[in-house]
Amino acid sequence: MTSRLLMRLQVVVPPPQRLGAVPHGTRVIAPITSGTFEGPRLRGKVLAGGADWTLLRPDGVLELDLRLTLESDDGALIYMTSFGLRHGPPEVLAALARGESVDPSRYYFRAAPRFETSAPQYAFLNRLIAISSGDRRASGPIYTIEEIL
Amino acid sequence: MNSRPLMTVRIAAAPLQRLGAVPHGIRTIVPVTGGEFEGPRLRGKVLPGGGDWLLLRSDGVLELDLRITLETDDHALIHMTFQGLRHGPPDAIAALGRGEIVDPASYYFRTVPRFEASTEKYAFLNRIVTVGVGETRPDGAVHRIDEIL
Repeated sequence: MTSRLLMRLQVVVPPPQRLGAVPHGTRVIAPITSGTFEGPRLRGKVLAGGADWTLLRPDGVLELDLRLTLESDDGALIYMTSFGLRHGPPEVLAALARGESVDPSRYYFRAAPRFETSAPQYAFLNRLIAISSGDRRASGPIYTIEEIL
Repeated sequence: MNSRPLMTVRIAAAPLQRLGAVPHGIRTIVPVTGGEFEGPRLRGKVLPGGGDWLLLRSDGVLELDLRITLETDDHALIHMTFQGLRHGPPDAIAALGRGEIVDPASYYFRTVPRFEASTEKYAFLNRIVTVGVGETRPDGAVHRIDEIL
């Protein structure tokens, strides 16, 4: 599988909304207030208003369901969604929950972002499949997003 | 991006159901009649009854939306879905449309498969993010699926 760097995306997440046990698992919503992204072909900021609607399944896997809006440095708006999975050894997940820094190679945090834009200079985003690797930091996650070639 | 082969899925399809122009594009439904899959950790057959709900967007990109059921050689049932994109040079896409064999390197056909399994032996499928490289054949499609590590 060949790929190349699309961007690194860092989002800022305030305290999450803990909804508790719902029919499919434990629902926690993480609002996104800001952030930045940068890659060889695009860079800019994350607009406020997005969030990650996470669901902890009974099998211990955290499902991620992210929606946010990116604004490029030349003023284009890009809608991004991403569905992913996070899981790992119990002690690693417990350390993450306590807000500690954990080597991201110690847990699995992968997602498949998709993009929509009307800006011609970024229309290539409408036509690619991408995969992200996540690194959960106390202030919010950092995603390294690669385009699948 | 580190990955390893998960399996190759060969899907046999019945004649296309061409619904024509709908609000989001041109809808074509591909009924799945069978097939087979094989990889280092699982193998078996594709059950009839699934399909791929294709949508040709106004920008020329074909969106794929597949749902099928796999049955392993030890009789476990696995629910598989994917969303994907296919696009390429007009002559390659036209040749595919005429049912000709086209080198899959000449067009972009990538998917993000997801799985659901209830048996412990195949529960790893519930916990991985995967990417498929597709090939359209006159009698169906072949998908080489890698697990993202």
